Amino acid sequence: MYLSKEEEGTLAGEEGESRRKAMELVVALGKIYGAEDLIEITSAHLSGASYKTIGDGGLKYLEDMVKGKAEISVPSTLNPVGMDRERWKEMHISPAFAEKQLKIIELYKEMGVQATCSCTPYLGDNVPSLGDHVAWAESSALSFVNSYIGARTNREGGPGALAAAILGKTANYGLHIDENRRPTAVIDAEIDGSVFSYSMLGQAVGMAIGGGIPYFRNVNPTVDDAKTMSAAMAAAGSVALYHVEGVTPEAGNFDVSGLETISIGKKELKDAYDKLNTAEDVQLIALGCPHLSKKEMRDIASFLKGKKKKNKDVEIWFCTSSKIREECAEEVRIMEEFGPVLADTCMVVAPIEGTFKRTGTNSAKAGNYLPTLCSQNVICRDLTKLMEVVL
Amino acid sequence: MIFQGRAISPGKAEGRVLKLDGTFSFLGGVNASTGDLNVGEGNIAGKVFVFHSGKGSTVGSFVMYDLMVHGKAPAAVINNLAETIVTTGAVISSIPMVDKIDTDVILDGDEIIVDGDEGTIEIKNTKAIRVVSSALLNDSGKVLLLQRPESARSFPGRKSLVAGKIEIDEVTEDAAVREIYEETQIKVLRPDAYLPPIYVREDDVIWEVYPFLFKIKDQEPILNKENVSCEWIGPDEIKRDSSIVPQTFDVVDRMLKKMK
Repeated sequence: MYLSKEEEGTLAGEEGESRRKAMELVVALGKIYGAEDLIEITSAHLSGASYKTIGDGGLKYLEDMVKGKAEISVPSTLNPVGMDRERWKEMHISPAFAEKQLKIIELYKEMGVQATCSCTPYLGDNVPSLGDHVAWAESSALSFVNSYIGARTNREGGPGALAAAILGKTANYGLHIDENRRPTAVIDAEIDGSVFSYSMLGQAVGMAIGGGIPYFRNVNPTVDDAKTMSAAMAAAGSVALYHVEGVTPEAGNFDVSGLETISIGKKELKDAYDKLNTAEDVQLIALGCPHLSKKEMRDIASFLKGKKKKNKDVEIWFCTSSKIREECAEEVRIMEEFGPVLADTCMVVAPIEGTFKRTGTNSAKAGNYLPTLCSQNVICRDLTKLMEVVL
Repeated sequence: MIFQGRAISPGKAEGRVLKLDGTFSFLGGVNASTGDLNVGEGNIAGKVFVFHSGKGSTVGSFVMYDLMVHGKAPAAVINNLAETIVTTGAVISSIPMVDKIDTDVILDGDEIIVDGDEGTIEIKNTKAIRVVSSALLNDSGKVLLLQRPESARSFPGRKSLVAGKIEIDEVTEDAAVREIYEETQIKVLRPDAYLPPIYVREDDVIWEVYPFLFKIKDQEPILNKENVSCEWIGPDEIKRDSSIVPQTFDVVDRMLKKMK
């Protein structure tokens, strides 16, 4: 792997211990993926933020990074954490958990990371441009910026993305390179066009294609559709990039004649739906995976307006970013009649397994992870069907 | 004996091997406060931890860091193939790591020096013996196997290809031609296929085996006293005969594919 003189110096410790360690990690990861050199990045998005997932090992790691004076050198945002920073008691979080979680947020801040704690930074806090090289973790977000925006990132892990943020560089391999962004299969989809149908389409394609690069025809996803579809494909498979004919910026660059065509119709969508539905009833309904956009907040509020929550046994959580919660005061007022509008967190990274056993969601991504990361049985339906239980 | 692998995480360390077969997840696989394994027996603290490859949750990297914080980290890690989780964990926890090592040559309890800067490992108290091993493929598509006597020092009583030691300063290909003539009286010239060396572990000996394949006309070998009998056998049958020395099928299969 080629390193410039300056990069060699970083690796030799000329710029201090924390930059040396960051370089060691970026180089090691570059080596195992066959990178030829390093490439400058314009932003990073970091995972490894919830105390529930990173534990004491992760907390100590971040403490040591800060002690070593680690500092990021490109704008970087942070993934959702295990609780709402202010309203964690409403989430049945213990004070011990809250203390460690707040500490983790502080440590990231000390390194210069913008502690937005959202999985949708591309909706406002951290928006790459077409052709930008970036180092993003969080599978749903990195797939969105790769595909819908045309920025370039691999599937970075938490410490790898942090190391890249510190250096302002990442290893140049995989999706940073033109030829690796070619589609591997054409998806001929027949869906009803609702947001939920895009979630199920993503689930079906993820199950069918694994780690491939799908090229969609006959669909026209909006930002919200693409948001849920990216998340679903990354969770059901490991899709980090897709193209949509006539929609995504790089779709026109490729000749797809001769590629295998995968048809997704009623049968495939039903298989996807059946895989995600493992419960009969729910104790919690959680919306906002990925975090609710402004438009979704509006849609939910207008759906709920004038209705009453009848089933008091079921809790409802709405998950979004603090930025969007601030900007949607009127919607929040309506939604709060039904349950808390939580910022910084979500049902997957919060320790809900201590309180709930059965959760309802409209997200295929949450449907994949709730059973494994939170020991939940799941109902995965579109918003109106999901809400029938409580209205 | 020293093996050249690939340097993944810098630093040097020496220790006794704890080896697991297959892939390993640090999350769930080990207690981060004690170093005790939850899968399999033993404790990895201070050991040279050898397994095929990492798997499982990305949180595994932080479990390695937690082990280090508790003073229970392995002294070094050796993998056949490094992936993101263990690579990340090894680097952030300053655990020397080398991959691209055939971990089949390493035994539980070996004493190993790992050099994460140069990408080498040295298995102490072992000696390497360089040998050739040749498949003779006749016109009928069968391969010659020789039966070793019960008194043989290595692999007694087992069946093998035409094998023998490479002399000091001898070119491997010449050694193959010589051994074939000595053991079968069959004359061959150039090999039709060959592979880079493979390594077979037998106690404190590591056989560095150079495989060759020669195509020959149908003919019967004349054995010397190094072997007690011989047979011609179809390549697929090698798999089913457990009296044949390890890796023979794999080696013959790879060379046959290479020839096509």
